[in-house]
Amino acid sequence: MTKYAMVINVEKCVGCHACELACKAEWGVAENEHRTWVKPTYPQSLGGKGLFDLVAAFYVGQCNHCDHPTCVEACPTGATFKREDGIVVVDYDLCIGCGYCVEACPYGARYVHPTLKKVDKCDFCAPRLEKGLEPACVETCITGAKVFGDLEDPTSEVYKLVYEEGARGITSEEVNIGPNVYYIGDEKKVDLIINKFPPRKPKLPTPASIWEKLLKPLLGLGVVASFLGASVAYFIQLFKGEDKFE
Amino acid sequence: MSNGRLTRRQFLKGTALVAGTTILPTGLVRAQRRPTTWHGRERVTEIPSTCEMCFWRCGIIGEVKDGRLVKIKGNPLHPNNRGKICARGNAGLKTLYDPDRLKYPLMRVGKRGEAKWRRVSWNEALDYMVDKLKDIKSKYGPEAIAMFPHGVSSRLLKSVFASWGVVNFAVASFNHCKGPRDVAFKLTFGTSPGSPERLDLPNASMIVLIGSHLGENIHTGQVREFAEAIGRGAKIVVVDPRFSTAASKAHWWLPIRPGSDTALILAWINVLIEKDLYDKEFVNRYTYGFEELKKAIKPFTPEWAEKVTDIPASTIREIAVEMGIRKPSVLVHPGRHTVWYGNDVQRSRAIAILVALLGSWGKPGGYFLPTPLKKSKCPCPKQEKPSKDVCEASGKHIYPFHEEGVPSQCVVDATLTGKPYPIKAWITYGTNIIQSIPQPERTIKAIEKLDLLVAIDILPTDPSLYADVILPEATYLERYDLPFVVSNWTDPYVAIRQPVVKPLFQSKGPFWIAKEVSKRLGLKNCLPCNSEEEMIDKILEPLNISLGDLTNKGVMSFPGRPYDTSNLRFRTPTGKIELYSTKLAAKGFSPIPVFEPVDEPPKGYFRLIYGRSPVHSFTRTVNNEWLDEIYPENRVWLNEKAAEKMGIKDGDEVYLVNQDGVKEGPVKVFVTPGIRDDCVFIVHGFGQKNPMMRRAYNKGISDSFLMTKIKPDPITGTTGMRVNFVKIEKNGKLLEYTPEGYEERLKEMKAAHVTPTIKIQKPANVQPEQPQPQEEEEEEGC
Ligand code: SF4
Ligand code: SF4
Ligand code: SF4
Repeated sequence: MTKYAMVINVEKCVGCHACELACKAEWGVAENEHRTWVKPTYPQSLGGKGLFDLVAAFYVGQCNHCDHPTCVEACPTGATFKREDGIVVVDYDLCIGCGYCVEACPYGARYVHPTLKKVDKCDFCAPRLEKGLEPACVETCITGAKVFGDLEDPTSEVYKLVYEEGARGITSEEVNIGPNVYYIGDEKKVDLIINKFPPRKPKLPTPASIWEKLLKPLLGLGVVASFLGASVAYFIQLFKGEDKFE
Repeated sequence: MSNGRLTRRQFLKGTALVAGTTILPTGLVRAQRRPTTWHGRERVTEIPSTCEMCFWRCGIIGEVKDGRLVKIKGNPLHPNNRGKICARGNAGLKTLYDPDRLKYPLMRVGKRGEAKWRRVSWNEALDYMVDKLKDIKSKYGPEAIAMFPHGVSSRLLKSVFASWGVVNFAVASFNHCKGPRDVAFKLTFGTSPGSPERLDLPNASMIVLIGSHLGENIHTGQVREFAEAIGRGAKIVVVDPRFSTAASKAHWWLPIRPGSDTALILAWINVLIEKDLYDKEFVNRYTYGFEELKKAIKPFTPEWAEKVTDIPASTIREIAVEMGIRKPSVLVHPGRHTVWYGNDVQRSRAIAILVALLGSWGKPGGYFLPTPLKKSKCPCPKQEKPSKDVCEASGKHIYPFHEEGVPSQCVVDATLTGKPYPIKAWITYGTNIIQSIPQPERTIKAIEKLDLLVAIDILPTDPSLYADVILPEATYLERYDLPFVVSNWTDPYVAIRQPVVKPLFQSKGPFWIAKEVSKRLGLKNCLPCNSEEEMIDKILEPLNISLGDLTNKGVMSFPGRPYDTSNLRFRTPTGKIELYSTKLAAKGFSPIPVFEPVDEPPKGYFRLIYGRSPVHSFTRTVNNEWLDEIYPENRVWLNEKAAEKMGIKDGDEVYLVNQDGVKEGPVKVFVTPGIRDDCVFIVHGFGQKNPMMRRAYNKGISDSFLMTKIKPDPITGTTGMRVNFVKIEKNGKLLEYTPEGYEERLKEMKAAHVTPTIKIQKPANVQPEQPQPQEEEEEEGC
């Protein structure tokens, strides 16, 4: 089995934004939106002696391809799903652009593409992986801070960084849905990133709101009823776990 | 040169023939089938070339679909950037497709600065320009024409004008950037650190950055290697009044008092010598003047330096000892933008001496040695006896170690005053002279006096606002340039720039422009090549490779000899590394660096310091859609203590008012603990004044406009810029802040002044200066 993961070395990253733009160019990410983003923590005082005791790092974010993805739970059509290799993807043919998953993601990893009216996010460059290419951000990362690989493969760099060197995902006491993007480096810097950019509580849709949004566009598009029928069972199963993370 | 790649060349030539493709007049260039790759889910063609979003020249590959560029990525074969490119490199296609690009030749119809234009043909524009130039030359002589060239593409036209007798070339990269350090290293080692700098970062066990904010200042190959060193646990020392990105990676961040760097370096030298921690063997074998240095350095103890720099003596000592233990794999970065306080050569000399004492020249983890590659030329021979340039002629601005053209201030002065002779025409090529030369108000006044201003560029940056003729150059993605033959890398390489897409609109490449001008000027034998392809072939001939060998790979590298010291020679008068500079002594300058205190901010003022953002190359990139999205405007870094005292909050809008009352703003404040409270910092390149740059117009503020004062270095004439001071104005009220202990510090600074013990005289045992082979220097950006 394969389980893809990304590790970011915060010691190496210089916050250059190359990764963000390589991704933009590769996938036609909309203006002012991101599949991957870079945010500075800015210099923070650790409470020590003035100028000599500062810390700063860059938070490089993207979809975490979570073990228990709340986005999948929120998606009413099954367009968002987790593949066997761990990658969480959006099937454009099924996505109705309702945006529930956008609300449900604790990391703000998703957005509704303004012209396509579909939800877009990082898919670890799945189509590139199929062609034997690296994710576009990893390919361009000027410092080699981004490491991509298979967590199930004990010889991989990511395996080493996560299981032997203690790379950590961004989680909090309240929200831990098993993120697969990890951060390694000086603990103070990793802590700073996690504290400054904590996961937010996922908002999951109520059944009523789902039907409302779902029906309108579907009727408008004239999608066949058989699809709806097939979906119903799926929703029922979804709604059970609705408040799991609240 | 027998590396595997030559076989590949034969292979390529072979396949081209086997494939039976028609050989077009341009030779192999079009005959080779292009490789393809995947872009998203589409198949696209790959065309390698060289980036120009900054001057660093990373290898890139353009991904092209139906004649349209869809993505730029790094070229993995390129030994410098190794497949990596920075945000600017990635955003290059947004410069190519920038709707604000200069599309056609334009001629001014309104008043200067009014931005009213008439679209004209290239013929009309060039005829007008050349007629006017001829006119000016016949009336005032060729010296009445000045050119501000920037970047590789300007070289051809520059050579055309030089051949026609023009002498006044104002080269920004020397005057406003790396002049001091290049001269200082030449005085010491007989050669500059090179560009790219010959720094063996990957093998360094300790890296010392003095005022260099590598990481925000992105030259991909160098940052890649810096990160590699960090990953391997190299000790990092960062000297910077601001907590830069590099500082956040450092073991020691030294928030030094601005202007006191030389004192710190001298104290390090003092410790290395006093504690016998320098590389004795190296010093004995290769250096000249150690005893003089030893004597002169005595007073510069860490305790003395603490008072001047605000860095504890114990820290200074600790770091010096660490350097001494780790030598020679200790890399003291020479910096690049080194025009700070007007005493910059001496500071850079102190760095060079430190490098010599650590014995890191030619050693792994230090400064590696170049592996020269031969190249030839497609020349434009000088046909007229050159007249005196504006500096020589004036006699007063003579800077004995000025190189590369004339200081731009001299051109501005002469244009304003008509002395020593009038200057009537300026040609700017790929450079924003309004923002890159301090005191822009003087530059603008000088422009008003001109009979002709020609701006050649890809975007309507500030100079075009005042230009009489605007010529649209093709971007780096649409043109050939002179090939890059780079000796300054551990594996030296040859790389090309070639069109990734056809030129858009009516933009033209540099070869075409230079040829057309030379024809109109009636120059014979100038650029004797029929096409740019032929020109590239000719230049690469001595290496036994041709353009065809590079069209699909973009680059070819050769085995280097970076640590081969068997032939180590130094092109100085003594043939040694001159710790004591005989050349400086001969010209009456201190032959061993001394610390000269700089002017402290007047009471209530902050010193204005400036630098870079990782996503911009100054004014060149501010109009780029993607880069603007990431960093649309600069902010003023202000110390949190000072902000609190002044009642300023993060995000507040303020104005900066300098010592001469010049005001820039509004600009947002970034309140941070990460800067000293005696200076403020902004990113350079913002505050575009030309409305034709629709995206960037008026965003952020221009530090250049606040630089009404400059301090030329007496040795090189390079422009010290960190000598301006600002107050902050909020809601119409001018606020003041004075750091604690201000008066005391002023006193300490005065007391710290040490009169040099060294006598300035030419030592007797030095050979009369040999004419030395000039290294070929190519003007670069910053
Ligand atoms: S990060 Fe957000 S979008 Fe990605 S898998 Fe987790 S919940 Fe879903
Ligand atoms: S490209 Fe690499 S160094 Fe640059 S911001 Fe992204 S992760 Fe950091
Ligand atoms: S450092 Fe960036 S902008 Fe400069 S040449 Fe390289 S990729 Fe281009």
